[in-house]
Amino acid sequence: MSALDLSLRGQATAIAGGDVDPGELLDEALARIDQRNPAINAVVETFPERSGEMLAAAPPGPLHGVPIVVKDEWPLPWRAQRFGAAELLAPTAPGESGPYRALRDAGATIVGVGNMHELGAGSTGNVSVYGPARNPWDTERCPGGSSSGPAAAVAARLVAGAVGADGLGSVRFPAAYCGLTGLKPTFGRSAMAGHHMAATTTLIVSGPLCADAADCRLLGSALFGEGLTAGDASGLRIGVIRDPVSEDVAPEVREACEAAIEALRAETGGEVREVSLPDLPAATMAAILLINGESLNGVTPERLNDLNPEVSPIARGFIKYRALLPASAIVQSARIRTLTRRRLVDLFEEVDVLAWPTIPAVAPPLESPLVELPSGTHTADQANVRGAALANLTGIPSISVPVGLGTGDLPIALQLGAAWGRDELLLDAAEALERANDRRWVEALPPLARAATEAAET
Amino acid sequence: MEASERAEEFIPAGLASLGIEADEVELAVMNAAHGMFWPAILDLLSLDTVEVVPERNPDLSQAPQ
Repeated sequence: MSALDLSLRGQATAIAGGDVDPGELLDEALARIDQRNPAINAVVETFPERSGEMLAAAPPGPLHGVPIVVKDEWPLPWRAQRFGAAELLAPTAPGESGPYRALRDAGATIVGVGNMHELGAGSTGNVSVYGPARNPWDTERCPGGSSSGPAAAVAARLVAGAVGADGLGSVRFPAAYCGLTGLKPTFGRSAMAGHHMAATTTLIVSGPLCADAADCRLLGSALFGEGLTAGDASGLRIGVIRDPVSEDVAPEVREACEAAIEALRAETGGEVREVSLPDLPAATMAAILLINGESLNGVTPERLNDLNPEVSPIARGFIKYRALLPASAIVQSARIRTLTRRRLVDLFEEVDVLAWPTIPAVAPPLESPLVELPSGTHTADQANVRGAALANLTGIPSISVPVGLGTGDLPIALQLGAAWGRDELLLDAAEALERANDRRWVEALPPLARAATEAAET
Repeated sequence: MEASERAEEFIPAGLASLGIEADEVELAVMNAAHGMFWPAILDLLSLDTVEVVPERNPDLSQAPQ
């Protein structure tokens, strides 16, 4: 078995113990990207010389010598981010972004840049200036977005950890579609410097994508700049919301998530309580309006008339539509944000975590990203955002955990949300859920990685 | 009036007022976006929030004070 098939913490431990040479591990990662990436288009750029320099200068940190992929949303000292697009509305330049510094200081080696949905504006990953990333579980399916490449890279075991960004579910959707664990941290807790919206966003955070919660804890600790210590999820009070929107999920997703909630309850000796959170559709719309408004910060009509024609027509149309959003709706969104945050304070007096499906249906086809739900056919973007926006609107942390395989052997995922600053509790709960499932779903490999591993072993 | 009909008026008028140009494909995307978002925006605007005092510069890393 290649050291690349170890967990993130396994790689770090093996390097620290002298059992694995980090230079050889870097070479193996680059070779594996050459071998497997053409099928999934997860990594859009490698830079072996820069990676080698980073490794040569790496301090003896907790990720010393471990290869990591970083989403095309973060500048690196040798490369400006492209945001998956032919052009960004904001100026960009190479630089030391927060995630870069965090990884460097932890001793990690950035081995490549991960593909992403164009301009971060989609939950599917099927639109990008680099071409779509593909799901390692089925390369004709969406990998999720907007952190499509980081997720596909980890799922295909090109690397054991990747850094994404989540402004409206963009870590959690690809984690769910690709069968990974993805953490959307509490707002402001993870490295954000250098992002082209760092000064204006009230929704976007960096976050880790890994196979399991322990690896997210390790990579998250680097991004947070503080140790995310393991605790105890005993007696976990799990809240579930039963309303028309949260119930509108594919039957197989509902069954898997309900089974997972019961397994989590049993594993922690906790309880499940039905709770209510009114006006969730309005909270979702408020988050959409706020992130769209913030993304236009400082953009003039003249600038909109000068968009690069290589930007996709869908993105051009959406960007121009954003300019027409009424100010009254943005102001109302701020009120709804406050209202929802206050309601969550009360709700988190009753329960420790909220649980609901991350995605309402398994990954849709790349060519036609539509999902069938009890309420009818929807675009995946319309359906997905309903389960993700709450965390971004209010600032609370949220984690997506794989809990099964559905139609076409495609992953299903449960999402857990907790009160502000309780990211560690989410990791504890995710680990409890892994134990309850005998780690079956976090250790499941997609066909692309499974076939390659089996071929290497014979 | 249906969302599609409203889009026929709202989008060209909005673009013209701001001096933003759009080609046919962009207009089609905008019409689709309007049909998708506008009903939800109207629902959002119809919520009675008059008694909600929005947080000033909310610290989203913490619970509201």
